[in-house]
Amino acid sequence: MSLVLEGLSISLHGAKFIAPFSMEIEGGEIVTLMGPSGTGKSTILQAIAGGLAAPFALSGSIYVNGVDVSRTDVAKRRIGRLFQDDLLFPHLTVGENLLFGMARGPREQRLALMRAALSDIELAGTEHRAPHTLSGGQRQRVALMRSLLAGPDAMLLDEPFSKLDVALRAAMRELTFLNLTRRNTPTLLVTHDKADAPKGGRIFEIKNGEVIYVR
Amino acid sequence: MGLPLVLLFIVPVLAVIVFMLQDATTLTGWLALFDHPQFGKALALSLFTGSVAGLAAFAASGFIACTLFQSGKLRGVALPLGAMLALPHLAFAVGFSFLIMPSGLIARLMALPLGWATPPQIITLQDPYGLALAVALAAKETCFLLFVLLQALSREDKRLALSAQVKAGQALGHGNLSISTRIILPQLWPEIIWPLIIVFVYATSVVDMAAVLGPNQPPTLAGLVWSDVNSARVENNLRGGAGALFLALACAGVMLVFWIMLKLSRQWRWKFFTCGPSTLSAPLWLAQLKWRGLGGLFIISGLLLVVMSFAQLWTFPALVPQGLGTMAWQQIVERPDALLTSIVLGVASASVGLVILVAWFEAMPAKYDRVTLALCLIFLGLPALSTGLGEYRLALQLGLTATWQGLFMVHLIPATAYMFIILAGPYRSFDVKWLAAANGLMAKRWRFLTTVKWPLLKAPLVASSAIGFGVAFAQYVPAQLMAAGRFDTLTIEAVTLSSGGNRPLLAAFAFLLMLPPLLAFWLATWAGRQKWSAP
Repeated sequence: MSLVLEGLSISLHGAKFIAPFSMEIEGGEIVTLMGPSGTGKSTILQAIAGGLAAPFALSGSIYVNGVDVSRTDVAKRRIGRLFQDDLLFPHLTVGENLLFGMARGPREQRLALMRAALSDIELAGTEHRAPHTLSGGQRQRVALMRSLLAGPDAMLLDEPFSKLDVALRAAMRELTFLNLTRRNTPTLLVTHDKADAPKGGRIFEIKNGEVIYVR
Repeated sequence: MGLPLVLLFIVPVLAVIVFMLQDATTLTGWLALFDHPQFGKALALSLFTGSVAGLAAFAASGFIACTLFQSGKLRGVALPLGAMLALPHLAFAVGFSFLIMPSGLIARLMALPLGWATPPQIITLQDPYGLALAVALAAKETCFLLFVLLQALSREDKRLALSAQVKAGQALGHGNLSISTRIILPQLWPEIIWPLIIVFVYATSVVDMAAVLGPNQPPTLAGLVWSDVNSARVENNLRGGAGALFLALACAGVMLVFWIMLKLSRQWRWKFFTCGPSTLSAPLWLAQLKWRGLGGLFIISGLLLVVMSFAQLWTFPALVPQGLGTMAWQQIVERPDALLTSIVLGVASASVGLVILVAWFEAMPAKYDRVTLALCLIFLGLPALSTGLGEYRLALQLGLTATWQGLFMVHLIPATAYMFIILAGPYRSFDVKWLAAANGLMAKRWRFLTTVKWPLLKAPLVASSAIGFGVAFAQYVPAQLMAAGRFDTLTIEAVTLSSGGNRPLLAAFAFLLMLPPLLAFWLATWAGRQKWSAP
């Protein structure tokens, strides 16, 4: 699996917002994109995921597993996202949330996968509970699993640890990276905190609208 | 996708307005109108009842809403208020008439201590000044304005901001009346001005309630116009057409005067806001008493309909009927056409309206909503008599009078207009984060709509459907014009019966008029209840 950005640039009201840049992320690799608030980190993620709206405009190409998806419908790009907020659907149970993005298949098999995922994040037996009955950390773990169970070909992480407390943050980071690496998913992580970046991973930074390779 | 929806929704509304204006071109009608011996008095009566009802409803709803808001007890009114709002005007008017008529419940309650053996010789119903009509309209419209204020004050951002400002006002030495009039109401003014206009125009031009409670000699201008419109003589029809347009212009004139007065009162307003704190406070119990009194009025009016529908013998001053029977109900069971027609029209209007609106919100960019909203408000802000005639003219052109399609159209248009006003806010402000989350899970559009968006919007969707049903169910003027004697609806039957002497049958029809909208409201409340907490 791979995620390739080729000559990607973003303009705002016709003026340059993010200068053209290229990036290649291999399966299982987690690349970090850093920068202070307002520099366009989330806009880049939005552009990759699809659905970047006016006054922004995108040019360049996005390849997922070698296929250009830059003009593909958002839901068909097979790019998963994890957000700052867990965004669990409040009217669905924990189990229903996990099943929401899962590919179709035999019912029993899907239920087994869902229960196994809950066990993986130490939340076995919570499938019938409403999301609001879980703690913030538990909900974020469910959100991670929901994204992974959808089987994305690439993953975008939009500061998913920023709202967690210090102790929970490290554990959640570890869980997320472990699962993404194990599933061989190419991942772009956006953060303003260097501590969130995986050790030894590549880091890019946005400075004055330029995406610069740091290490 | 957009064009068929424009054809389905906006074109009929525009056409109605254009056809309505056609009446301005015939001079004969205008001359006959101004020559009518009852014209001046009828106009004065209409403007009087409309203004009194509008101002009283505004004062009562503002007082109840602001006082209860400041004491944190406003949320409790939501459920009973919805039920009161669902009650059609005509059904309430009939129940109210059984309460205040000389042989009504109030007179019976006073008969024992005052020793009355016969009903008092006081004109309490269809009085020459239109007071009974104005009071009933004020009570009914208080519910509507209270609902508007409740919606505004329940919005989280507004609620939090105003709660903080109330505390600031208290800290600066203001009593709750001062806070209501100087802090809360001025900030709600932009949201209440259109509903207030709709209330005023409705109260000035109402036909069905006026037929039950309003004066006869002369009637209100709306009553005068209505009899002209239904007359077999062409010259009377022309006079009626001009009268309907004149009524709309008179309403616009009063609003213009009101607007000028507001502009001229700038200096006075400046003094009012800057003259310093007033510690004058209204006790909470007074607001609660007013609210419960209003609720009690609706409950008693509803109960009176039930009792009266079974009363075969109920002489004055007995408090309960001496003889009960089901004759009125048997008549309805034997001829259920009107009930069935009303239910079918109500359900069809609400369902089709909902499909049209959801398709509109999904297919059309939000920037077109403003024009559509303006059209809806213009349509609802015009007297029903005028728009009803416009719809009738449109149907004549299309050859739809006295047809099912025509009858359905005149029920669908106002229902959809009301539903648009209710649904536009919640539907358009649906948080895009849920779409982003669903997209991140590779959910296709239809899946997102059916599994996430519509379930999360279930409450406003079912509430607007219930209101659409209630609006369609209570249509009278356009229904009567379009039915042309070929169809019967409950409202047509009830208004016809109101001039006859069969009170049990009138009560039974009015009760039936009340029941389905109430059931729709309870169903919407039950179906739309939120079983989850927001994250």
